[in-house]
Amino acid sequence: MSLVRTLGKNPRCDLYLDLAQMISGILLVGFLWTHMLFVAVILLGPATYDSFARFLDDYYLSYIGIPFIGLVALVHVITVCRRIPSRYQELWEHAKLVRHTDTWTWLFQLVTALGIVILVMIHVWSVLTGWPIEAVKSTERMTSFWWFYIALLLLGEYHAGFGLYRIFVKWGWIKRKTIGWVTKTITIIIVGLGLAALWAFLQLGGAV
Amino acid sequence: MANRQLTFNIFRYNPTNPKDKPHMQTYQLQETEGMTIFVALNMIREEQDPSLMFDFVCRAAICGSCGMLINGKPRLACRTLTKDLPPEITLLPLPVFKLIGDLSVDTGTWFRHISLKTEAWIHTDKEFDPRAQEERMDNKTAYDIYEAERCIECGCCIAGCLTANLRPEFLGAAGLNRVARFMVDPRDKRSAKDYFEVIGSDEGTFGCYGLMACEDNCPMELPLQQQLAFVRRKMAWAGLKR
Ligand code: SF4
Ligand code: SF4
Ligand code: FES
Repeated sequence: MSLVRTLGKNPRCDLYLDLAQMISGILLVGFLWTHMLFVAVILLGPATYDSFARFLDDYYLSYIGIPFIGLVALVHVITVCRRIPSRYQELWEHAKLVRHTDTWTWLFQLVTALGIVILVMIHVWSVLTGWPIEAVKSTERMTSFWWFYIALLLLGEYHAGFGLYRIFVKWGWIKRKTIGWVTKTITIIIVGLGLAALWAFLQLGGAV
Repeated sequence: MANRQLTFNIFRYNPTNPKDKPHMQTYQLQETEGMTIFVALNMIREEQDPSLMFDFVCRAAICGSCGMLINGKPRLACRTLTKDLPPEITLLPLPVFKLIGDLSVDTGTWFRHISLKTEAWIHTDKEFDPRAQEERMDNKTAYDIYEAERCIECGCCIAGCLTANLRPEFLGAAGLNRVARFMVDPRDKRSAKDYFEVIGSDEGTFGCYGLMACEDNCPMELPLQQQLAFVRRKMAWAGLKR
């Protein structure tokens, strides 16, 4: 390492960045899963959905939660960006040259990350401009843009599932096989829940 | 499956010859019983092309000199049977390391650099007394050290590692495994803080992306995930404590 880089750098900088990436990642996964559970409340009927949304609203949970998660997402994006090599040509060459599954899942994780950033911005913008959350509005959004939400669900869950898997692998708290199995199962459940919620919305859309 | 006609696509390039350009060359060979890539390469060199360069010493997975990319996977040539491969086999030298020529790379310089950088020897201020009885060590510790010491420095974990390919200063799994070996050794007096100075950065433990190409490719089946995680936890703790 060069002198300037050595002098200008906090020796614990890389550790802090790594921890920030991990903690923000875990928080985001947690958020994603709760979010899907919340959305799945529609399965209990539009009235329950509405009163649940109002409950979150009345107790300011939405107003604390949304900016907080926005901030966490920002931290995650910033800390993750350092992992993206500037010479992505070499990345591509390496992946093609050396055949290895986990390397490809990671590459695909980069791609899904880009997709998620774009789709999430559209999603958040459309929800906030149509505030408050109500079953009627959600139904409208879902019926016209169901393909958008399927894409977001799959991209998000892929990224979250493998991201979580990788965190556990890196820190070695649980065996690699076990954690792979656990994250896959949870991901399938959450995706199933998301699809069920979507189906409920579409059903409502037909009924309205 | 024996008696197949095998086709080898082999990377050819001699960096010392200014007129030479990297290219792939094809050889045909009749498969024999129990044939390894090591045997095949020797037959090609003896019968078809004496100029072919590749490394061997032990032909028994001990010396670690015959690592190469076999159909895209870092493997030991002496340990890879042709019967486990399709009839078309592509051989490339290991990436990351300096190319000597064709399939031969210089892993020695890389590993020497790692040894010096991590100071891979016991650091102690105890005077050595040749007549004293050796100090005892409990079985578990001895086993953990032995497990890490099984590394034959073949470089397969480095060649398959995305980080090592993109970042020349990255220690890689073999390097971090070496550090782990000294961390568990009670005779080594280095503190976690001492280690942190050398490996507590993206060039060391925090540079790893956790893709586990190292563990998946290690011919000695070293528990590299556990070793990497052990070092990472220890270093995170050391960095946070102060
Ligand atoms: S787990 Fe870490 S050391 Fe192993 S191949 Fe991946 S990046 Fe390299
Ligand atoms: S850790 Fe395994 S793959 Fe890496 S150099 Fe040692 S023996 Fe080879
Ligand atoms: S020749 Fe020694 S490991 Fe293959």
